[in-house]
Amino acid sequence: MKHIADLPVRVIAGCSLADLRPKALPPYAPEAVAFLTAWSKQLLARPDIRAYPDVASFAYWCRPANLARLHRELGCQQLRMGRGVALHIAPANVPVNFAYSFAFGLLAGNANIVRVSESLPAQADIVCAEANDLLSQADHGRIASMNTLLSYPRNDDITQRLSAVADVRLLWGGDQTIEHLRRMPVSPRCVDIAFADRYSLCLLSAPAVLMAESKALQALAVGFYNDVFLLDQNACSSPHLILWQGTVQEVEAAQVRFWNAMQALLHTKGQSPGIHAVDKYTHLCRTAIQVKGAKATPTADNRVFRVALDELPENIAEHRGRFGFFFETIDNDLAQLRRIVNTRYQTLTCFGVDAHVLAEIVVSHGLAGIDRVVPVGKALDIGVIWDGYDLIRNMSRIVATQ
Amino acid sequence: MSNLEKYVAAFTSTFLVEESALANLKYQDIAAWDSVGHMSLMAVLEETFGIEMDIDDIIEFSSFEVGRTILAKYNVTMK
Repeated sequence: MKHIADLPVRVIAGCSLADLRPKALPPYAPEAVAFLTAWSKQLLARPDIRAYPDVASFAYWCRPANLARLHRELGCQQLRMGRGVALHIAPANVPVNFAYSFAFGLLAGNANIVRVSESLPAQADIVCAEANDLLSQADHGRIASMNTLLSYPRNDDITQRLSAVADVRLLWGGDQTIEHLRRMPVSPRCVDIAFADRYSLCLLSAPAVLMAESKALQALAVGFYNDVFLLDQNACSSPHLILWQGTVQEVEAAQVRFWNAMQALLHTKGQSPGIHAVDKYTHLCRTAIQVKGAKATPTADNRVFRVALDELPENIAEHRGRFGFFFETIDNDLAQLRRIVNTRYQTLTCFGVDAHVLAEIVVSHGLAGIDRVVPVGKALDIGVIWDGYDLIRNMSRIVATQ
Repeated sequence: MSNLEKYVAAFTSTFLVEESALANLKYQDIAAWDSVGHMSLMAVLEETFGIEMDIDDIIEFSSFEVGRTILAKYNVTMK
Protein backbone atom coordinates (compact mmCIF):
# COMPACT_ATOMS: atom_id res chain seq x y z
CA MET A 1 0.00 0.00 0.00
CA LYS A 2 1.10 3.54 -0.69
CA HIS A 3 2.67 5.49 2.08
CA ILE A 4 2.56 9.26 2.03
CA ALA A 5 5.11 11.29 3.91
CA ASP A 6 3.74 13.91 6.24
CA LEU A 7 3.66 17.42 4.84
CA PRO A 8 3.19 20.81 6.48
CA VAL A 9 -0.59 20.92 6.21
CA ARG A 10 -3.36 21.55 8.71
CA VAL A 11 -5.56 18.48 9.11
CA ILE A 12 -9.18 19.56 9.51
CA ALA A 13 -10.79 16.14 9.72
CA GLY A 14 -9.77 12.52 9.30
CA CYS A 15 -6.24 11.17 9.61
CA SER A 16 -2.84 12.71 8.97
CA LEU A 17 -1.18 12.10 5.61
CA ALA A 18 1.36 9.77 7.19
CA ASP A 19 -1.43 7.66 8.69
CA LEU A 20 -3.51 7.47 5.52
CA ARG A 21 -4.30 3.87 4.51
CA PRO A 22 -5.53 4.14 0.96
CA LYS A 23 -7.34 0.83 0.65
CA ALA A 24 -10.15 1.19 -1.86
CA LEU A 25 -13.75 0.15 -1.30
CA PRO A 26 -16.50 -0.76 -3.75
CA PRO A 27 -18.82 2.12 -4.78
CA TYR A 28 -21.48 2.93 -2.18
CA ALA A 29 -19.74 0.75 0.41
CA PRO A 30 -21.77 0.44 3.62
CA GLU A 31 -19.00 2.18 5.63
CA ALA A 32 -18.97 5.16 3.27
CA VAL A 33 -22.75 5.42 3.21
CA ALA A 34 -22.92 5.10 7.01
CA PHE A 35 -20.48 7.97 7.41
CA LEU A 36 -22.23 10.24 4.90
CA THR A 37 -25.67 9.60 6.31
CA ALA A 38 -24.42 10.23 9.85
CA TRP A 39 -22.86 13.47 8.56
CA SER A 40 -26.19 14.39 6.96
CA LYS A 41 -28.08 13.73 10.17
CA GLN A 42 -25.72 15.73 12.38
CA LEU A 43 -25.77 18.68 10.01
CA LEU A 44 -29.56 18.71 9.66
CA ALA A 45 -29.94 18.52 13.45
CA ARG A 46 -27.90 21.68 14.04
CA PRO A 47 -30.04 24.63 15.16
CA ASP A 48 -27.92 27.05 13.10
CA ILE A 49 -28.40 25.12 9.84
CA ARG A 50 -31.30 27.37 8.82
CA ALA A 51 -28.88 30.22 8.21
CA TYR A 52 -27.05 28.08 5.64
CA PRO A 53 -29.34 26.64 2.96
CA ASP A 54 -26.31 25.39 1.01
CA VAL A 55 -25.17 23.26 3.94
CA ALA A 56 -28.73 22.02 4.41
CA SER A 57 -28.89 21.09 0.72
CA PHE A 58 -25.64 19.14 1.01
CA ALA A 59 -26.87 17.34 4.13
CA TYR A 60 -30.18 16.62 2.44
CA TRP A 61 -28.35 15.24 -0.59
CA CYS A 62 -26.44 12.85 1.72
CA ARG A 63 -29.59 11.49 3.35
CA PRO A 64 -29.97 7.70 3.29
CA ALA A 65 -32.90 7.59 0.85
CA ASN A 66 -31.01 9.63 -1.77
CA LEU A 67 -27.80 7.60 -1.50
CA ALA A 68 -29.82 4.38 -1.80
CA ARG A 69 -31.43 5.72 -4.97
CA LEU A 70 -28.07 6.73 -6.46
CA HIS A 71 -26.65 3.30 -5.61
CA ARG A 72 -29.51 1.63 -7.46
CA GLU A 73 -29.01 3.93 -10.45
CA LEU A 74 -25.34 2.92 -10.67
CA GLY A 75 -26.46 -0.68 -11.07
CA CYS A 76 -24.15 -3.63 -10.62
CA GLN A 77 -23.53 -4.93 -14.16
CA GLN A 78 -19.81 -4.78 -13.47
CA LEU A 79 -17.65 -5.34 -10.44
CA ARG A 80 -16.22 -1.97 -9.47
CA MET A 81 -13.96 -0.44 -6.85
CA GLY A 82 -12.36 2.91 -6.16
CA ARG A 83 -9.25 3.80 -8.16
CA GLY A 84 -7.20 4.37 -5.00
CA VAL A 85 -6.28 7.84 -3.80
CA ALA A 86 -8.42 10.73 -4.97
CA LEU A 87 -6.94 14.20 -4.59
CA HIS A 88 -9.49 17.01 -4.52
CA ILE A 89 -8.43 20.58 -5.14
CA ALA A 90 -11.65 22.34 -4.19
CA PRO A 91 -12.64 25.86 -5.22
CA ALA A 92 -13.16 28.95 -3.12
CA ASN A 93 -16.21 30.29 -4.98
CA VAL A 94 -18.72 27.71 -3.72
CA PRO A 95 -18.46 27.18 0.07
CA VAL A 96 -19.63 23.55 0.33
CA ASN A 97 -18.19 22.34 -2.98
CA PHE A 98 -15.34 20.53 -1.21
CA ALA A 99 -17.88 18.46 0.72
CA TYR A 100 -19.61 17.28 -2.46
CA SER A 101 -16.28 16.55 -4.11
CA PHE A 102 -15.25 14.50 -1.06
CA ALA A 103 -18.60 12.67 -1.01
CA PHE A 104 -18.28 11.75 -4.72
CA GLY A 105 -14.78 10.38 -4.14
CA LEU A 106 -15.90 8.44 -1.10
CA LEU A 107 -18.99 7.00 -2.79
CA ALA A 108 -16.84 5.87 -5.70
CA GLY A 109 -14.76 3.91 -3.16
CA ASN A 110 -11.61 6.01 -2.96
CA ALA A 111 -9.36 7.18 -0.19
CA ASN A 112 -9.55 10.96 -0.33
CA ILE A 113 -7.21 13.85 0.24
CA VAL A 114 -9.33 16.98 0.13
CA ARG A 115 -7.72 20.37 0.03
CA VAL A 116 -10.20 22.81 1.53
CA SER A 117 -9.68 26.44 0.58
CA GLU A 118 -8.47 28.62 3.44
CA SER A 119 -10.76 31.48 2.52
CA LEU A 120 -14.13 29.82 2.91
CA PRO A 121 -16.95 31.38 4.94
CA ALA A 122 -18.41 30.10 8.22
CA GLN A 123 -20.57 27.34 6.77
CA ALA A 124 -17.48 25.43 5.63
CA ASP A 125 -16.30 25.31 9.24
CA ILE A 126 -19.62 23.82 10.31
CA VAL A 127 -19.38 21.11 7.66
CA CYS A 128 -15.77 20.34 8.62
CA ALA A 129 -16.47 20.35 12.37
CA GLU A 130 -19.19 17.72 12.02
CA ALA A 131 -16.98 15.60 9.76
CA ASN A 132 -14.17 15.83 12.30
CA ASP A 133 -16.50 14.86 15.11
CA LEU A 134 -17.68 11.74 13.26
CA LEU A 135 -14.27 10.72 12.00
CA SER A 136 -12.98 10.82 15.58
CA GLN A 137 -15.49 8.13 16.55
CA ALA A 138 -14.56 4.45 16.48
CA ASP A 139 -17.70 3.66 14.43
CA HIS A 140 -16.18 5.45 11.45
CA GLY A 141 -12.61 4.24 11.98
CA ARG A 142 -12.31 2.62 8.55
CA ILE A 143 -13.43 5.82 6.82
CA ALA A 144 -11.19 7.97 9.05
CA SER A 145 -8.17 5.82 8.16
CA MET A 146 -8.55 6.51 4.44
CA ASN A 147 -9.62 10.15 4.35
CA THR A 148 -8.17 13.49 5.21
CA LEU A 149 -9.57 16.98 4.86
CA LEU A 150 -6.74 19.43 5.01
CA SER A 151 -5.79 22.99 4.34
CA TYR A 152 -2.59 24.77 3.39
CA PRO A 153 -1.68 28.10 1.87
CA ARG A 154 -1.08 27.92 -1.86
CA ASN A 155 2.06 25.81 -2.16
CA ASP A 156 3.07 24.08 -5.37
CA ASP A 157 5.50 21.78 -3.63
CA ILE A 158 2.78 20.26 -1.45
CA THR A 159 0.29 20.04 -4.30
CA GLN A 160 2.92 18.33 -6.47
CA ARG A 161 3.71 15.76 -3.82
CA LEU A 162 0.03 15.03 -3.31
CA SER A 163 -0.51 14.86 -7.07
CA ALA A 164 2.31 12.32 -7.35
CA VAL A 165 0.42 9.83 -5.15
CA ALA A 166 -3.02 10.43 -6.67
CA ASP A 167 -4.86 7.86 -8.80
CA VAL A 168 -7.53 10.38 -9.62
CA ARG A 169 -7.60 14.15 -9.27
CA LEU A 170 -10.71 16.28 -9.08
CA LEU A 171 -9.58 19.74 -10.01
CA TRP A 172 -11.95 22.63 -9.46
CA GLY A 173 -10.96 26.14 -10.36
CA GLY A 174 -10.48 28.78 -13.00
CA ASP A 175 -8.88 27.93 -16.34
CA GLN A 176 -5.49 29.19 -15.23
CA THR A 177 -5.54 27.16 -12.01
CA ILE A 178 -6.51 24.04 -13.93
CA GLU A 179 -3.81 24.58 -16.51
CA HIS A 180 -1.27 25.07 -13.73
CA LEU A 181 -2.36 21.93 -11.88
CA ARG A 182 -2.41 19.89 -15.08
CA ARG A 183 1.27 20.59 -15.62
CA MET A 184 2.21 18.81 -12.39
CA PRO A 185 3.49 15.28 -12.92
CA VAL A 186 1.09 12.50 -12.01
CA SER A 187 1.30 8.72 -12.19
CA PRO A 188 0.76 7.27 -15.68
CA ARG A 189 -2.63 5.79 -14.66
CA CYS A 190 -3.90 8.89 -12.90
CA VAL A 191 -7.24 10.19 -14.18
CA ASP A 192 -7.81 13.95 -14.07
CA ILE A 193 -11.33 15.29 -13.94
CA ALA A 194 -11.17 19.03 -14.35
CA PHE A 195 -13.96 21.48 -13.60
CA ALA A 196 -12.79 24.65 -15.24
CA ASP A 197 -14.59 27.96 -15.87
CA ARG A 198 -18.01 27.34 -17.31
CA TYR A 199 -20.80 29.58 -18.55
CA SER A 200 -24.50 29.03 -17.98
CA LEU A 201 -27.72 30.48 -19.33
CA CYS A 202 -31.48 30.38 -18.99
CA LEU A 203 -34.29 29.89 -21.50
CA LEU A 204 -37.70 31.36 -20.68
CA SER A 205 -40.88 30.90 -22.67
CA ALA A 206 -42.71 34.23 -22.74
CA PRO A 207 -46.17 32.63 -23.18
CA ALA A 208 -45.46 30.31 -20.22
CA VAL A 209 -44.41 33.25 -18.04
CA LEU A 210 -47.55 35.18 -19.09
CA MET A 211 -49.85 32.24 -18.43
CA ALA A 212 -48.29 31.18 -15.13
CA GLU A 213 -50.62 31.47 -12.16
CA SER A 214 -49.34 33.72 -9.40
CA LYS A 215 -48.14 30.74 -7.35
CA ALA A 216 -46.17 29.33 -10.30
CA LEU A 217 -44.73 32.77 -11.07
CA GLN A 218 -43.66 33.11 -7.44
CA ALA A 219 -42.01 29.67 -7.59
CA LEU A 220 -40.21 30.69 -10.79
CA ALA A 221 -38.90 33.83 -9.11
CA VAL A 222 -37.73 31.87 -6.05
CA GLY A 223 -36.04 29.30 -8.28
CA PHE A 224 -34.29 31.97 -10.34
CA TYR A 225 -33.26 33.75 -7.14
CA ASN A 226 -31.69 30.55 -5.80
CA ASP A 227 -29.90 29.89 -9.10
CA VAL A 228 -28.40 33.37 -9.20
CA PHE A 229 -28.24 35.14 -5.87
CA LEU A 230 -27.38 32.41 -3.35
CA LEU A 231 -23.81 32.45 -4.64
CA ASP A 232 -23.75 36.00 -6.07
CA GLN A 233 -23.84 34.62 -9.64
CA ASN A 234 -20.32 33.21 -9.05
CA ALA A 235 -21.21 29.54 -9.53
CA CYS A 236 -20.45 28.00 -12.93
CA SER A 237 -24.06 26.90 -13.23
CA SER A 238 -25.62 30.29 -12.41
CA PRO A 239 -27.17 31.87 -15.51
CA HIS A 240 -25.80 35.10 -17.01
CA LEU A 241 -27.78 35.17 -20.21
CA ILE A 242 -31.53 34.87 -20.67
CA LEU A 243 -32.90 33.64 -23.98
CA TRP A 244 -36.57 34.48 -24.42
CA GLN A 245 -38.96 32.69 -26.74
CA GLY A 246 -42.14 34.28 -28.08
CA THR A 247 -43.20 37.23 -30.22
CA VAL A 248 -41.71 40.64 -29.45
CA GLN A 249 -44.98 41.70 -27.77
CA GLU A 250 -45.17 38.52 -25.70
CA VAL A 251 -41.55 38.83 -24.61
CA GLU A 252 -41.94 42.47 -23.62
CA ALA A 253 -45.01 41.66 -21.53
CA ALA A 254 -43.40 38.56 -20.01
CA GLN A 255 -40.28 40.52 -19.11
CA VAL A 256 -42.37 43.04 -17.20
CA ARG A 257 -44.17 40.24 -15.35
CA PHE A 258 -41.04 38.20 -14.61
CA TRP A 259 -38.83 41.07 -13.48
CA ASN A 260 -41.60 42.60 -11.37
CA ALA A 261 -41.90 39.28 -9.57
CA MET A 262 -38.11 39.22 -9.13
CA GLN A 263 -38.08 42.77 -7.79
CA ALA A 264 -40.84 41.93 -5.31
CA LEU A 265 -38.88 38.90 -4.12
CA LEU A 266 -35.58 40.76 -3.92
CA HIS A 267 -37.23 43.44 -1.78
CA THR A 268 -38.00 40.80 0.85
CA LYS A 269 -34.33 39.81 0.98
CA GLY A 270 -33.10 43.11 2.39
CA GLN A 271 -30.56 45.53 1.02
CA SER A 272 -27.63 44.15 -0.95
CA PRO A 273 -24.17 45.60 -0.25
CA GLY A 274 -23.40 48.90 -2.00
CA ILE A 275 -20.22 47.42 -3.44
CA HIS A 276 -22.36 45.00 -5.47
CA ALA A 277 -24.24 47.88 -7.08
CA VAL A 278 -20.95 49.61 -7.88
CA ASP A 279 -19.59 46.40 -9.39
CA LYS A 280 -22.67 46.06 -11.61
CA TYR A 281 -22.62 49.71 -12.64
CA THR A 282 -18.93 49.50 -13.55
CA HIS A 283 -19.64 46.35 -15.50
CA LEU A 284 -22.50 48.07 -17.30
CA CYS A 285 -20.13 50.85 -18.40
CA ARG A 286 -17.60 48.25 -19.55
CA THR A 287 -20.35 46.45 -21.44
CA ALA A 288 -21.48 49.68 -23.12
CA ILE A 289 -17.95 50.16 -24.43
CA GLN A 290 -17.18 46.58 -25.36
CA VAL A 291 -20.43 44.92 -26.47
CA LYS A 292 -21.81 46.16 -29.75
CA GLY A 293 -25.52 46.96 -29.69
CA ALA A 294 -25.87 46.63 -25.91
CA LYS A 295 -28.88 48.53 -24.56
CA ALA A 296 -29.35 48.92 -20.81
CA THR A 297 -32.90 48.28 -19.64
CA PRO A 298 -33.92 50.78 -16.94
CA THR A 299 -34.68 49.09 -13.64
CA ALA A 300 -36.28 50.36 -10.45
CA ASP A 301 -33.14 49.99 -8.30
CA ASN A 302 -29.67 48.50 -8.20
CA ARG A 303 -30.59 44.93 -7.37
CA VAL A 304 -30.71 43.74 -10.97
CA PHE A 305 -28.93 45.11 -14.05
CA ARG A 306 -30.27 44.10 -17.45
CA VAL A 307 -28.79 44.54 -20.90
CA ALA A 308 -30.84 43.88 -24.03
CA LEU A 309 -29.19 42.59 -27.19
CA ASP A 310 -30.72 42.01 -30.61
CA GLU A 311 -27.84 39.81 -31.60
CA LEU A 312 -25.48 37.92 -29.30
CA PRO A 313 -21.76 38.44 -29.86
CA GLU A 314 -19.79 35.23 -30.06
CA ASN A 315 -17.80 36.07 -26.97
CA ILE A 316 -20.80 36.89 -24.74
CA ALA A 317 -19.45 34.44 -22.12
CA GLU A 318 -16.51 36.78 -21.58
CA HIS A 319 -18.84 39.59 -20.54
CA ARG A 320 -20.42 37.93 -17.55
CA GLY A 321 -21.26 40.09 -14.57
CA ARG A 322 -21.93 39.25 -10.96
CA PHE A 323 -24.50 39.93 -8.21
CA GLY A 324 -27.44 40.01 -10.65
CA PHE A 325 -26.28 41.16 -14.09
CA PHE A 326 -28.06 39.73 -17.13
CA PHE A 327 -28.04 39.87 -20.89
CA GLU A 328 -31.38 39.23 -22.59
CA THR A 329 -32.25 38.44 -26.17
CA ILE A 330 -34.97 36.73 -28.19
CA ASP A 331 -33.93 33.41 -29.70
CA ASN A 332 -36.98 31.55 -30.95
CA ASP A 333 -35.28 28.82 -32.96
CA LEU A 334 -32.12 28.81 -30.83
CA ALA A 335 -30.18 29.89 -33.91
CA GLN A 336 -28.25 32.44 -31.85
CA LEU A 337 -27.37 29.89 -29.20
CA ARG A 338 -26.28 27.38 -31.83
CA ARG A 339 -24.06 30.01 -33.42
CA ILE A 340 -22.19 30.99 -30.24
CA VAL A 341 -22.20 27.85 -28.07
CA ASN A 342 -18.81 26.32 -27.28
CA THR A 343 -17.25 23.88 -24.81
CA ARG A 344 -17.44 26.50 -22.07
CA TYR A 345 -21.24 26.31 -21.92
CA GLN A 346 -22.48 24.17 -19.04
CA THR A 347 -26.01 24.52 -17.65
CA LEU A 348 -29.15 25.58 -19.49
CA THR A 349 -32.02 26.25 -17.09
CA CYS A 350 -35.49 26.47 -18.60
CA PHE A 351 -39.07 27.41 -17.85
CA GLY A 352 -42.01 26.56 -20.07
CA VAL A 353 -39.85 24.50 -22.43
CA ASP A 354 -39.28 20.76 -22.10
CA ALA A 355 -35.76 20.01 -20.80
CA HIS A 356 -35.62 16.69 -22.65
CA VAL A 357 -36.44 18.35 -25.96
CA LEU A 358 -33.68 20.89 -25.37
CA ALA A 359 -31.19 18.16 -24.42
CA GLU A 360 -32.06 16.35 -27.65
CA ILE A 361 -31.39 19.54 -29.60
CA VAL A 362 -27.90 19.67 -28.04
CA VAL A 363 -27.22 16.14 -29.26
CA SER A 364 -28.94 16.27 -32.65
CA HIS A 365 -27.21 19.53 -33.61
CA GLY A 366 -23.88 18.25 -32.29
CA LEU A 367 -23.43 21.32 -30.10
CA ALA A 368 -19.94 21.73 -28.65
CA GLY A 369 -21.25 22.62 -25.21
CA ILE A 370 -24.13 22.38 -22.69
CA ASP A 371 -23.88 19.39 -20.36
CA ARG A 372 -27.00 19.96 -18.38
CA VAL A 373 -30.57 21.09 -19.03
CA VAL A 374 -32.63 21.53 -15.85
CA PRO A 375 -35.68 23.52 -14.74
CA VAL A 376 -35.12 27.01 -13.31
CA GLY A 377 -34.31 26.57 -9.60
CA LYS A 378 -32.10 23.53 -10.07
CA ALA A 379 -28.98 25.24 -11.42
CA LEU A 380 -26.97 24.70 -8.25
CA ASP A 381 -28.13 21.12 -7.59
CA ILE A 382 -24.79 19.41 -7.97
CA GLY A 383 -24.82 15.63 -8.25
CA VAL A 384 -22.85 12.55 -9.25
CA ILE A 385 -23.37 13.50 -12.90
CA TRP A 386 -21.63 16.85 -13.26
CA ASP A 387 -20.01 18.80 -16.07
CA GLY A 388 -20.87 15.92 -18.38
CA TYR A 389 -19.00 13.36 -16.29
CA ASP A 390 -20.43 10.37 -14.45
CA LEU A 391 -18.21 10.91 -11.42
CA ILE A 392 -18.79 7.59 -9.69
CA ARG A 393 -17.91 5.63 -12.84
CA ASN A 394 -14.99 7.90 -13.71
CA MET A 395 -13.53 7.67 -10.21
CA SER A 396 -13.83 3.89 -9.93
CA ARG A 397 -12.31 1.06 -11.94
CA ILE A 398 -13.90 -2.08 -13.33
CA VAL A 399 -12.62 -5.50 -12.33
CA ALA A 400 -13.59 -7.42 -15.46
CA THR A 401 -14.22 -11.15 -15.91
CA GLN A 402 -15.07 -13.11 -19.02
CA MET B 1 -44.45 3.79 19.31
CA SER B 2 -47.32 3.86 16.85
CA ASN B 3 -46.85 5.39 13.42
CA LEU B 4 -48.88 8.41 14.50
CA GLU B 5 -46.68 8.91 17.56
CA LYS B 6 -43.56 8.66 15.40
CA TYR B 7 -45.07 11.12 12.91
CA VAL B 8 -45.86 13.59 15.68
CA ALA B 9 -42.39 13.15 17.18
CA ALA B 10 -40.78 13.94 13.80
CA PHE B 11 -42.55 17.32 13.79
CA THR B 12 -42.06 18.19 17.46
CA SER B 13 -38.35 17.27 17.44
CA THR B 14 -37.58 18.95 14.11
CA PHE B 15 -39.49 22.18 14.69
CA LEU B 16 -39.50 22.26 18.51
CA VAL B 17 -43.25 22.86 18.61
CA GLU B 18 -45.92 21.57 20.98
CA GLU B 19 -48.00 18.63 19.85
CA SER B 20 -51.14 20.71 20.34
CA ALA B 21 -50.03 23.08 17.56
CA LEU B 22 -49.66 20.36 14.94
CA ALA B 23 -53.20 19.63 13.75
CA ASN B 24 -53.49 22.82 11.70
CA LEU B 25 -49.79 23.37 11.05
CA LYS B 26 -48.90 24.29 7.48
CA TYR B 27 -45.63 24.86 5.62
CA GLN B 28 -44.23 28.30 6.45
CA ASP B 29 -46.72 28.89 9.29
CA ILE B 30 -43.77 28.96 11.67
CA ALA B 31 -40.20 30.16 11.15
CA ALA B 32 -38.80 26.67 11.75
CA TRP B 33 -40.81 25.14 8.87
CA ASP B 34 -39.11 27.04 6.06
CA SER B 35 -37.43 25.45 3.06
CA VAL B 36 -34.47 24.29 5.16
CA GLY B 37 -36.73 22.99 7.93
CA HIS B 38 -38.66 21.14 5.25
CA MET B 39 -35.50 19.30 4.18
CA SER B 40 -34.83 18.32 7.79
CA LEU B 41 -38.39 17.08 8.24
CA MET B 42 -38.34 15.03 5.04
CA ALA B 43 -35.01 13.43 6.00
CA VAL B 44 -36.34 12.55 9.45
CA LEU B 45 -39.57 11.07 8.05
CA GLU B 46 -37.72 9.01 5.45
CA GLU B 47 -35.44 7.63 8.12
CA THR B 48 -38.16 7.07 10.70
CA PHE B 49 -40.33 5.07 8.34
CA GLY B 50 -37.56 3.60 6.17
CA ILE B 51 -39.02 5.05 2.97
CA GLU B 52 -37.81 7.03 -0.07
CA MET B 53 -40.22 9.77 -0.96
CA ASP B 54 -40.77 10.92 -4.52
CA ILE B 55 -39.82 14.49 -5.29
CA ASP B 56 -43.47 15.32 -6.11
CA ASP B 57 -44.57 14.11 -2.70
CA ILE B 58 -41.84 16.13 -1.01
CA ILE B 59 -43.06 19.25 -2.82
CA GLU B 60 -46.72 18.57 -2.07
CA PHE B 61 -46.06 17.90 1.61
CA SER B 62 -47.61 21.23 2.61
CA SER B 63 -49.14 20.57 6.02
CA PHE B 64 -49.25 18.16 8.93
CA GLU B 65 -52.58 16.86 7.65
CA VAL B 66 -51.59 16.53 3.97
CA GLY B 67 -48.45 14.69 5.07
CA ARG B 68 -50.53 11.96 6.65
CA THR B 69 -52.24 11.30 3.31
CA ILE B 70 -48.92 11.33 1.46
CA LEU B 71 -47.32 8.86 3.86
CA ALA B 72 -50.28 6.52 3.42
CA LYS B 73 -49.04 6.05 -0.17
CA TYR B 74 -45.89 4.52 1.33
CA ASN B 75 -47.96 2.17 3.48
CA VAL B 76 -47.40 4.29 6.55
CA THR B 77 -50.89 4.26 7.97
CA MET B 78 -51.98 6.32 10.94
CA LYS B 79 -55.24 5.87 12.70
